[in-house]
Amino acid sequence: MKKKEKAEALHIRRSKGDWVFDIALIVFFCLFTFICIFPFYYLLINTISDNDLVTSGRVNFYPLVKSTGGEAVFGAHFSNYTALRNVQDLGSSVIVTVSRTLIGTALMVLVSAWAGYLVTKQKMWKRSFWYRFLVVTMYFNAGLVPWYMNMLMMGLTDNFLAYIIPGLVAPYNIILVKTYIESIPASLEESAVIDGASTVTVWRKIILPLSIPILATIAIFGAVGNWNSFQDSLLLMNNRPDLYTLQHRLYIYLNSSSNLGAMMSQGGTISEQAAQSMLNQRVIQYTVSMVSIIPILLVYPFMQRYFVKGIMLGAVKG
Amino acid sequence: MEGSRQQKKQAARVPLWLFRIAALVVIMAMFFPPANPGRISEKINESASLFTTGISYGTITNSMGRILRSQWIRNSDITMLMVACCVVMAGIILCATGACMSLGNRKMCRRGLVLPLIGAPVMGAGLYLIHRTYTAMMAHGGETGKLDTIKIILPGGFTVFCVFAGILLASALLAFLMTEKETNPEARMEMDEKYRLFLMMLPVLLLAFVFCYLPIWGWRFAFFDYTPGGNVGPENYVGFKWFNFLFNDPANARDLVRVLRNTLVMSGLGIATSWLPIAFAVLLAEVRSTKFQRFVQTFTTIPNFISWVLVYAIAICIFSTDGFINSFLTNVLHQTGANTNYLQIADHTWLKMLLWGTWKGIGWSAIVYIAGIAGIDQQLYEAARVDGANRFRCIWHITIPGLMPTYMVMLLMSIGGILSNGMEQYLVFSNAMNKDVIEVLDLYVYNIGIGQNQISLSTVVGVSKSLIGIILLFTANGISKAIRGESII
Repeated sequence: MKKKEKAEALHIRRSKGDWVFDIALIVFFCLFTFICIFPFYYLLINTISDNDLVTSGRVNFYPLVKSTGGEAVFGAHFSNYTALRNVQDLGSSVIVTVSRTLIGTALMVLVSAWAGYLVTKQKMWKRSFWYRFLVVTMYFNAGLVPWYMNMLMMGLTDNFLAYIIPGLVAPYNIILVKTYIESIPASLEESAVIDGASTVTVWRKIILPLSIPILATIAIFGAVGNWNSFQDSLLLMNNRPDLYTLQHRLYIYLNSSSNLGAMMSQGGTISEQAAQSMLNQRVIQYTVSMVSIIPILLVYPFMQRYFVKGIMLGAVKG
Repeated sequence: MEGSRQQKKQAARVPLWLFRIAALVVIMAMFFPPANPGRISEKINESASLFTTGISYGTITNSMGRILRSQWIRNSDITMLMVACCVVMAGIILCATGACMSLGNRKMCRRGLVLPLIGAPVMGAGLYLIHRTYTAMMAHGGETGKLDTIKIILPGGFTVFCVFAGILLASALLAFLMTEKETNPEARMEMDEKYRLFLMMLPVLLLAFVFCYLPIWGWRFAFFDYTPGGNVGPENYVGFKWFNFLFNDPANARDLVRVLRNTLVMSGLGIATSWLPIAFAVLLAEVRSTKFQRFVQTFTTIPNFISWVLVYAIAICIFSTDGFINSFLTNVLHQTGANTNYLQIADHTWLKMLLWGTWKGIGWSAIVYIAGIAGIDQQLYEAARVDGANRFRCIWHITIPGLMPTYMVMLLMSIGGILSNGMEQYLVFSNAMNKDVIEVLDLYVYNIGIGQNQISLSTVVGVSKSLIGIILLFTANGISKAIRGESII
């Protein structure tokens, strides 16, 4: 509060130019925010408007449905979302993505917490060498094809484990955890060691509970990364379409000119079905997109708390 | 007495370290397909390691459909092989555990050294089983007369593992005999803390090795005529043929130049606009209402958290034939015939990609600068105001210099990564119209390597890229050290 008053005092002599500048700023940022948000909103209203009106390009700023008289009126329907259960292969992708997000993130957080704690231990044999051994992997990679051949060699193609195991060691997250743990007073740990606690006990009983903020940060970023994962599925799962991630599945839907919509249209004559399915094509793409955006928007408010923490800690190099 | 004991302890070190190193090598070899002792038929997948052979029936048999159907190789033999491999692995694990324990105090070390005395014979037994399977398959092949088709061989890895089993047994026995028995009956199994901590870390290090360092082994494909599923051996070693092919063959050279141009232009545009987040942050900080600031920050960051596939979905939703732009032109501006699919137009692709990147990233990149502005000492501003500085002077002389160190780090990092713009964005946005101008290096590697199965050629591109990347990174780091006296890595 005090700071604000001070600021007010400093700004007491506002010129006309200042006012214009302030207003211009507000207008600019409103516009910019609109550009960032509107596409999401537009996607949403496309999925809940009448499919006919969407494909004929009638929907602009608010959702429209057809009234009994055939007029386009303000309103919404959710049958596109319920119809998604008829879309082939979508279910397995959702299951794969959700499970890799849950399992992969949980294990990654555990490994990062464990490794991040151990690298703070000065007593470890050749500690700084091993720490550098981990950090270097952030800046260097052997390239896409050697990586792919390596995964092939490991038998991690067409295998769900390929989503989990390579992601376990995340050097950046290990650095974040290490930096955070170093800020915890060493006396806490020392007193526990004097009481006879082993390394594992100290980690479990003292370090883990105290580093929850940073673990939450890496968990959330890890979860978003897992949810958005596309490349590993594209590269590694050639013979196992049932293991495609949601993003990969969506990518296929977005690029398919086949009649995706056919899966959603039921009843009626064949020609009616064909017309219906052409019409549904776009709407399914939109609806699947919306479904894969929603979880991110749901965790977003929680993430925000950790933004600055995550980014600033990363800027402090290890 | 004490002196001779010391001598004995020193002497025991040699076989001990030999044993530990052998155990580490064997553990690694377990995941290393060329050393697979279980590949007793050439029809067994070349990329199967001992570990894979032990656990994955599917990997062993995926290229022997007909052979199995006709029972030229019996299923029971395959099962036998898997069991044998598992026995070998059990032996290896015993040896490795022993090697870990040998880092402990004398009592623990002696206990640990007992394990390889069991483990190495177990390994031997497993290897014997593999050999039996080999003979059985050979005999069966002789009966069916299909020896030529099933190609039974005794792999080089078999010999390697036999040798290592011998080394492990001998060195462990020697070390065991040379370490004296603990005379103090009260002594407990203990390990020096430095080794204990290291062993706790070891699994993480091994994982990092396998997934980040081992791929370097794949660089060898650059020097071989490799076709997927084929062999890498002296018979198809071609030296620098692929390097020559890439840089000297006119068609490839032209492709490479085109791809490099795309890569450099897009990275260059990114670097040229890398000051935008600063401008964004500085301007946002000038807004007086903190609530409004937070509001803007919240919503401009969202696009950063959706994947490029979803960005593409949004692009379709806005710019395709039935997207927002066209329906806006039709419904609101009453233009007729507005049905351009803007995504299919190749004009200004570089600029469009830059704009998508900016849309997705600017709010997020600005956060670090917003935090930086919050960290600038308020007294500086007050002093400047007292001296009569206006807003713009404050920004120019206080805020921007305050943000420069952070910006320099970001800039140098992006110079280090000038060749890697990632492939996801360009993959999702590429189509028949724009594929010439959108193909960046990463996407090119993907297209020729995975898309056209030219493993060797794309490895050459990847290797060159990685090496140049390292050089750039170190250059950037050197510059940073020279200018700021601080390294960025």
